[in-house]
Amino acid sequence: MKEAQGHKKNKKFGMVIDLDKCTGCGACMVACMAENNVPFQEDESDKLLGTAWMRVYKMTNGKPFPETDVCYIPRPCMHCEGHAGHSPCVSVCPATATDYDNHTGVVSQIYTRCFGCRYCMAACPYHARVFNWWDPVWPADMEKMLNPDVSVRMRGVVEKCSFCYHRYQQAMEKAYYEERQDIEEDEYQTSCTQACPAGAITFGDLNNPDHAVHQLAKPDNKHGGRPKNPHAFRLLERLGTNPKVYYLSSREWVIRAGDNYVKNEKTGSGGH
Amino acid sequence: MKIDRRSFLALTIGGAAGTALTPLPWKLTDDSSIWSQNWPWTPVPAKGENSYAFTSCNLCPGGCGLMVRMVGDRAVKIEGLEGHPVNDGGVCVLGLSGLQLLYGATRVKSPMKRVGKRGAGHWKKISWKAALAEVAEKLGKLRDDNQSHTVACVTGSKYGTVPALFKRFMTVYGSPNVMTTPSVSDTLEMALQVMHGVEAQVGYDVENADYILSFGSGLIEGWGSPVRMFRANSAWRESGAKVVQVEPRLSNTAAKSDQWIPINPGTEAALAMGIAHVLIKEALYDDDFIRNYTEGFAGWMLMVLEEYTPEKVASITGIDKMVIVKVAREFAGAGKPLALCGRANGETPGSLAEAMAVHTVNALVGNINQEGGVVAVPVPEYAAWPEIGLDSTAQNGMAKDRVDGAGSDAFSLAESLLNRFAEGAMSAKAYPVNALLVSDANPVYTTPGAKDFKKAVEKIPFVVSFSAYLDETAQQADLVLPNHVYLERYEDMPVMTGLQKPMVGLIQPVVYPLHDTKNVGDTIIELAKTMGGSIGDAFPWGSYEACLEEALGDKWEMLNEDGLWQDEAFQPAAWGEAFATASGKFEFMNPAMNLMPSYVPLNLEGNASTFPLLLMPFDSMRLASGFISNPPFVIKSVEDTMLKKKDVCVEVNPATAKPLGLADGKLATLSTPKGEARVRIYHYDGIMPGVVAIPRGLGHTADDKYMAGKGVNVNELIGSVEDRASGLDTAWGVRAKLAKA
Amino acid sequence: MDSALIPKGVKRCPLPQFGAALMIVGAVLLWGVFALLLVWFKGLNQTNMNNAYGFALWIWADLGVIALGGGAFFTGFLKYIVGKDELKNIINFAVLIGFICYSSALLILAIDVGQPLRSWFIFWHANVHSMLTEVAFCLSCYFGVLTIEYIPLILENRQVDKVPFFHNLSHNMHEVMAIFAATGAFLSFFHQGSLGGVAGVMFGRPFGFREHILIWPYSFFLFTWSAAACGPCFTIFVTKLTEKIAGKKLVKDNVIELLAKISGWMLFTYIIAKSIDTIYWANVTVPSMGHTLMDFYSNNPGSVYGIWMLIAEIGVCGLLPAVILITEKGRKTPALLWTAVILASIGVLLNRWVMVLQVMAVPVLPFETWNRYFPSWQEIATTILPVAYGVILLMISYRYLPIFPQEAELNPIEEPDPAPAMEAEGDAEAVEIAQDAELAPAKG
Ligand code: SF4
Ligand code: SF4
Ligand code: SF4
Ligand code: SF4
Ligand code: SF4
Repeated sequence: MKEAQGHKKNKKFGMVIDLDKCTGCGACMVACMAENNVPFQEDESDKLLGTAWMRVYKMTNGKPFPETDVCYIPRPCMHCEGHAGHSPCVSVCPATATDYDNHTGVVSQIYTRCFGCRYCMAACPYHARVFNWWDPVWPADMEKMLNPDVSVRMRGVVEKCSFCYHRYQQAMEKAYYEERQDIEEDEYQTSCTQACPAGAITFGDLNNPDHAVHQLAKPDNKHGGRPKNPHAFRLLERLGTNPKVYYLSSREWVIRAGDNYVKNEKTGSGGH
Repeated sequence: MKIDRRSFLALTIGGAAGTALTPLPWKLTDDSSIWSQNWPWTPVPAKGENSYAFTSCNLCPGGCGLMVRMVGDRAVKIEGLEGHPVNDGGVCVLGLSGLQLLYGATRVKSPMKRVGKRGAGHWKKISWKAALAEVAEKLGKLRDDNQSHTVACVTGSKYGTVPALFKRFMTVYGSPNVMTTPSVSDTLEMALQVMHGVEAQVGYDVENADYILSFGSGLIEGWGSPVRMFRANSAWRESGAKVVQVEPRLSNTAAKSDQWIPINPGTEAALAMGIAHVLIKEALYDDDFIRNYTEGFAGWMLMVLEEYTPEKVASITGIDKMVIVKVAREFAGAGKPLALCGRANGETPGSLAEAMAVHTVNALVGNINQEGGVVAVPVPEYAAWPEIGLDSTAQNGMAKDRVDGAGSDAFSLAESLLNRFAEGAMSAKAYPVNALLVSDANPVYTTPGAKDFKKAVEKIPFVVSFSAYLDETAQQADLVLPNHVYLERYEDMPVMTGLQKPMVGLIQPVVYPLHDTKNVGDTIIELAKTMGGSIGDAFPWGSYEACLEEALGDKWEMLNEDGLWQDEAFQPAAWGEAFATASGKFEFMNPAMNLMPSYVPLNLEGNASTFPLLLMPFDSMRLASGFISNPPFVIKSVEDTMLKKKDVCVEVNPATAKPLGLADGKLATLSTPKGEARVRIYHYDGIMPGVVAIPRGLGHTADDKYMAGKGVNVNELIGSVEDRASGLDTAWGVRAKLAKA
Repeated sequence: MDSALIPKGVKRCPLPQFGAALMIVGAVLLWGVFALLLVWFKGLNQTNMNNAYGFALWIWADLGVIALGGGAFFTGFLKYIVGKDELKNIINFAVLIGFICYSSALLILAIDVGQPLRSWFIFWHANVHSMLTEVAFCLSCYFGVLTIEYIPLILENRQVDKVPFFHNLSHNMHEVMAIFAATGAFLSFFHQGSLGGVAGVMFGRPFGFREHILIWPYSFFLFTWSAAACGPCFTIFVTKLTEKIAGKKLVKDNVIELLAKISGWMLFTYIIAKSIDTIYWANVTVPSMGHTLMDFYSNNPGSVYGIWMLIAEIGVCGLLPAVILITEKGRKTPALLWTAVILASIGVLLNRWVMVLQVMAVPVLPFETWNRYFPSWQEIATTILPVAYGVILLMISYRYLPIFPQEAELNPIEEPDPAPAMEAEGDAEAVEIAQDAELAPAKG
């Protein structure tokens, strides 16, 4: 875990996904695949063998017809901060192939260092990590559509959402080139954010009060980033993973479905 | 020297220790890991100069603007065009996967001629010259035999220059049989024709409405222009507009709506009429509009008051009487209420009486041509092409009745009835169909009763496909004259999917053609020239691009610059000028055609005792259900509640499934009067008991292993049911039976 | 034929019979090797693991064999550090079992990782926060220690021992063995614990997570404790089994009983600790994460994971064998002793299963359901592979090495030793075989 540079304020990139707007269309998933050279297989119906970095889950309220309700919940990597950068996955990787970057809050993944022990996968409660069970294959001329900014992963290693980190690097390079110290909010946006037809995803620096993500989620950094917005929640917040992806919903059952509660327990209570 | 045991061992051990101390094992260890990091079979994307190319998407009629990220001459990523009036940066799963169609294995790489049996998949490459000569020869012969009218043509859309070129070709050639892939737009157009007396498209000012009453429209499932509707849906969340979804199934639209009203399948028109009843009874309608700008209200009103009391409507629709009254009151009380129709994604045209019923609900609250209401949007005008001269053969041919019956006395409103084509071609009542040309359409897959359509095609002696992909229809062809993929060609794209203003998008090439393909516009022009005579004369252009430029006239410059032309100044006609009916007013009824807004129960195929359930197709944004197959990324996005391995999942309410002994996840047989399929049971509480549903867009048989052989094509399980008034297909489902496999 | 290699004063079955048995087990071994090659060349798609089941049969097998191999370090600890000298009569065998278990664990790990050629990154790019890093370091070191402990045994082969160098080496190694045993015990306390820590630190997995003492989760201590308790039981079990197959007594009862008694008390205290841990976890840790204990034991497909698992692990395979072993009557009644050591071995395997596979199976996201997994034949074959290899190594070691110091005394041979002529040829052959025996595990 790299230490913070003294002179610059650390960023904490994060996401806010408005579940009232999300239509479950899946464009975020595909935008991610197209941007990040995510491979595909003939049979993609077993979601636990696939390599999607972003997965849109379908939740139901469990009630019978016609009281039934459905809500989709897109799940990228949460880029968990845990306690002081000890994300569930980063702390367990024996080869330091995944790391928490204190400058940006991004949990990185080094494919060429990963040796495929999958401890990180076991440790991640969000199933955000996927394993390359097969060699990646792009049939016909499809290798032509590979993005040179993202390396292709070989069989036998773990991969996951990077918050499109290459886009951050490019934006920073451009800023330095133009002799600017920093980038603007719209200069670094992830592929899924950009593609979402519903505009349900907002991305930015949670530490920056001018950024939309900060204003939407109102993270309380004194309490592990807990959202002060009553309609905002994080998945499995009580585990102490301290994720940087926030969800908004106006539906009580959806907010409650974001975490585990013992029967009769109040939503939002407890936690580390 | 004799090596004794001791020195042998010493040597061995010493050797081992020595080796361990040399760099060799360490070097090998390091090298092998470096090798594993650079496996030659794991591709390394080539670098190149970064740039963006701009174009429009034509994978659905939505009309989204695209920017394609280029690295050198490779297209690496499709993104939504920021600032575009339709999608403003957003893009759907299919649009995002376009490069997999461009670079995929399913392309037709050069003209191909069938060598084996029809559909057996044996082809030989031929030259463009030979291909065009063969088509010209075959069509020429038919024409010489005065059989020009026996040639039929199917195009995807009816707007834009390419369909116009086909129509022009067929006209000078001498056949009236030009058909297009149908959709709800056709029905809505007819409704406007009958009630407004105008030729126009229905536009909805969804963004400005504040109470949306949707009669089963899949607002976020591909209805209208998909990305635009997503944006509208988000805007409603922010503005606090209320969305009410009327549908038997908890679709994504229903789930996102503020109120979901489950309704008995197919009875939406009855609910619209019931709402009209309450609006009239409680005098909640727009008095000014009704009094001054409508005709026939009094007579129709009496019928409505008599026939559609909330009690009656409640018994038809299964909706509580009070809910009907409450919705009607809310609708009338809203600032800008808007009722929408067109089931699911609008691929089924639906009943004309129903479209009129919903349109009437809008008319009653006076939202015709108003902000937040329904707008009659004229089709963008193109510059006129030179007049064409028809020789006598062509004149004779054009005078013949159409195979599909469109425009006949029975279906005078219809321009094209693809749903009736198969029967017409099979029965050959008036004449047989001797040749079929298909472009930008895949009717063998998309037509309800797909198997019948395929049988009809099998009977046609000469079938030509202009498809860029070897789709189900192309597989039945004798010749394939492949079009460029949209990312390789120019084409105009009038956007006719419910926008408030006339708009044309421009498809522009972003990469050089990868294969020996040809813009279908050029193919038609060259074909005409090959045939010569009056046909050749009708196509004076040197190339399709020249033709396009001429057709677009003063729009060309703007299109070429912005990739988009929009009539910014367009204002919907004021009520005084809006109606061109006989009365010059909005007409509730057309007694001559025996047409009025009403509920006409549908006679579904099959009998209820053999087939006790109702099967309805449903749409998902994660599947392409039109003429484009699902590229690998799209398939990858499909939920495991829709497709499991090779089996489609059928949504069944647990209350329906349990008595049948159908456990969740188990295989079952789904049968309908049309056919039978293996399906996997998916217990879904969100579907009405007695109704089952499967997604549209699966079950492709064409294309490669990534696209084909997944699930069933619902169009093979349902048939089409003709609307009495329009002739269009109005089947929203079919009777069905589920049994353990 | 091979009698020149067989230790003095003991009797072994005829070579053809031995060879036939070897071939049967060898066939199983080859099946495993075939599966192993498939996995190495085609990748982990040969397994039924998936993104939710990143750890599965192999990791369980790893944890399992290491726990069962715990007899080596704990017996060593008792003999060399605590000073229970009687245990010298079983320590060889304990070391051999430990050696087999640990080499198997390393082999399985080499199959289990997606990029075996990069496994060494765990040392080169070590992350000190990771339990696996600690496991890797300690495991490799301890395997080295076990090898060192095993070598003198090989050197004691009748023919090898004739070489003065080896004879002296063996003697000198015996002198310093206490140091290695101590090192081994120390290492084992840590890596057994770290294996427990693997699941215990996963704070994203409520079923595996345990509260910490400093940096160590409770499961860290429980794993060491249970390995110390159940490892020797497994040693006793394999000893008894060997006796049964050989048809003769190999270790004196007092030795077995001593080890059994100590194991019994270890197990008894372990079960108390485990119960306290479970009660605390179920009532404090789990509810703080929004779960109840029964969430983990109900509503799963086929009801595989029922509360019976907890009862089986703690009661039937924990408390029951502990009680048998701590009572004199229990230890001395062969049937009870058998029952106890088998149950204890199953108990520790069950515990490792739960801490690997159930951790993966339990849904954590509220909208997720239980994950299902059943190993592929390739996983099963590669898991049986080490068993076959272990049996072979045991067979060879038993035949040619003086593993059981009390064997000759317990089974005196009446007729004079029919020592064959010492031909040079026979000698060379003997060395070769001995070398094979030595090299085989190193390959793994
Ligand atoms: S793209 Fe947007 S609307 Fe579609 S599933 Fe993803 S977040 Fe939801
Ligand atoms: S979501 Fe999973 S992979 Fe991502 S940082 Fe958190 S624990 Fe790690
Ligand atoms: S699989 Fe790779 S990233 Fe994950 S823990 Fe192992 S080495 Fe680290
Ligand atoms: S942030 Fe980037 S990497 Fe992560 S899911 Fe979105 S597109 Fe994929
Ligand atoms: S909605 Fe239609 S036009 Fe827009 S990107 Fe998707 S497929 Fe293309």
